Amino acid sequence: MKSAYNETWLYNLLLLKDAKQWQRHKLISEEQLASISAAHSSPFFHPNVIIRILLFLASLIALSGVTGLLTIFVLSISDETGQVISVMSILYGIAAFIFLEAIFIRGAKHYKSGVTEALLYHAMAFVLGGMASITDYNVHITTIGCLIVFSLSAWRYLDLISTLGAVGSLVFLLFYELYTMGGIMQQIIPIVFIVLFTPLYFVIKKQKEKPEAEVWLDCLILMEALMLLIIYAAGNYLVVRELSVNLMDMQIETGQDIPFALLFYFLTIAIPILYIYFGLKNKDVVLIRVSLFVLAFSVFTFKYYFSLGHPEITLTLAGAFLLVVTILLLRYLKTPKHGFTRENILSDKWRNANLEAFVVSQTLGGNHPTATSTDGGAGGSSAGGGSTDSF
Amino acid sequence: MRLEKLKKLREKNFLTEEQYANLEVIISRKLFSVSYELTSLLYLGVLLFTTGVGILIYKNIGDLGHLLSIAALSALTLGCFIYAFKKSTPYSSTKVSAPTPYFDYIVLLGCLLFISVLGYLQFQFSLLDERLGQTTLVAAVIFFLAAYRFDHLGVLSLAITAFASFWGLSVSPQQWYHNDFFSSANLHITALFFGTGLAGIALVLHQRGIKQHFTFTYINFCSLIFLVGALTGIFINESSYGLYLILLYMGCALTVYAGYWQKSFLFLLYAVVFGYIATTYFLSDFLVNEAGIWFLYMLLSCGGFVAFVINYRSYFKRQS
Repeated sequence: MKSAYNETWLYNLLLLKDAKQWQRHKLISEEQLASISAAHSSPFFHPNVIIRILLFLASLIALSGVTGLLTIFVLSISDETGQVISVMSILYGIAAFIFLEAIFIRGAKHYKSGVTEALLYHAMAFVLGGMASITDYNVHITTIGCLIVFSLSAWRYLDLISTLGAVGSLVFLLFYELYTMGGIMQQIIPIVFIVLFTPLYFVIKKQKEKPEAEVWLDCLILMEALMLLIIYAAGNYLVVRELSVNLMDMQIETGQDIPFALLFYFLTIAIPILYIYFGLKNKDVVLIRVSLFVLAFSVFTFKYYFSLGHPEITLTLAGAFLLVVTILLLRYLKTPKHGFTRENILSDKWRNANLEAFVVSQTLGGNHPTATSTDGGAGGSSAGGGSTDSF
Repeated sequence: MRLEKLKKLREKNFLTEEQYANLEVIISRKLFSVSYELTSLLYLGVLLFTTGVGILIYKNIGDLGHLLSIAALSALTLGCFIYAFKKSTPYSSTKVSAPTPYFDYIVLLGCLLFISVLGYLQFQFSLLDERLGQTTLVAAVIFFLAAYRFDHLGVLSLAITAFASFWGLSVSPQQWYHNDFFSSANLHITALFFGTGLAGIALVLHQRGIKQHFTFTYINFCSLIFLVGALTGIFINESSYGLYLILLYMGCALTVYAGYWQKSFLFLLYAVVFGYIATTYFLSDFLVNEAGIWFLYMLLSCGGFVAFVINYRSYFKRQS
């Protein structure tokens, strides 16, 4: 198992990121950080996130220029269409992969620099686009192709969007195959998803613990969270019901319900509780965060079907409940209990006071020339007393 | 971070025994922080509660139970502020950290509820029609006062957006996307003056040493408002946009300088994006309208920019 990047350099880079965080939280001194960084040098070009975005956008525009020029050139020397163009598109995509690998990763030692992402997505888009058009947009083959290309890219370039793409293709493939089989297979789609993805979750969790998997850690964490969400969605009443009605033309008369409705009601309640219980028991941050999200979705599910017709009262009560419970929990954790603390010991690297201030201004009142702060449904979810200024 | 890695660092003597012990507790999850989760929930609570209350007031104006609920809300607002004054340390011009983890959220809740109650009173005594602007101004003043008194960046950005909407400017990318850049004509000129004026005030405050950690937020809003204003000026004045182009370039130069000064690449991003859009628009008046030339332009301009950043990578790495 190997990624495209030099493992020692990656190891050093990850270690330095941690050490910088420790220094920001005053767990180690600046001199110690300097000596750690001297001993763990990493020649990668891995710039700040804003520079990455800039480089990504600029690279995408520049690459469109290249593609445009090539298209004009190809069209001027031949009037071939269809298959030839598709094959050329695949070849162009492969050339872009080679260019990425040889010039930027090996040569200029880029690691997730924005340029690498732009080239990678560009290459994947052309390979997949060409493949789809050769197979005349056959859904089976195209989805399998997506799954393979995304997986290879996630594995070789440690890329998160490719990881998301790979899991998405897998889910779609499975759903599509069962759906086209029709009949009873359509009915058992939720069961199949739960039965298949639950073991997969544990496999991923086990992989994550292995030392040699460290370079893929972010991809594995993302996959872990996605597995949990998929398992939940497959058991969620709202998801199952709406998909049954919209895709399988199920008619639900008043007084009737979807098949196994009770099972799905039960799962809608039970899965978030299971997640939160095991999350707290094992101090598993992925489980805890996913559990909060799915808990909110479960509440929404029940409100959606058993609403009393006053959403503003629900909002107010839910808000008040959240505020009271959270403040009580924070007071309870004034001194650490059962190994939990309310203090921010090592914050996430992307937490940023200035960013949070902007989120507040965009989601809460004060932005519009109305007196009451009635709007704000945009719904961001990140805020808090900030800690770092690393933007 | 894996425990083995930490052990290695200790073996190589990069960490003292005490530091190792501290970090070991965190990495082995013997001590587990739920700070991020709980503060997110608090934020969500404030968001839901103030939204719900806002709609509730708006929908039930004139009802019997209404006055009671307004009284309750006023009491709650008062409670928030009493708590904030009681817990907070006296005003200081430097950065003050919050006394409790939920302090910031109580201040935020108090401010938002205050505005709701204020809006209701205005509406009830039918002052709304002619004095809509004043309400926004009052809201802005209250937000500013609270932001400085309780050292609250979130309330500060609410203050700036309320102050901007007093002048008719909406500082919201969502709205820029839906409408034109500004809702009525000549607002882009207001935007230019507003951006410059507020930036000037922010710089004076910075020089006097008053809440210097607020400067970033001020410049963030000012540069965005100014650059969007200048770009709108370029787009709506088809023939004579030279002045706006010069203003935009000046704005970009100042934003780049601010980025250098505040050690933030975000401002560099603004300057590059706005500068590039304006320049491309300007060139479209001169360049031959042929696809090949434009593809070449895209390749050369953006490729050149990428090459530039990579060449000066040491500079771009230093501040990260």
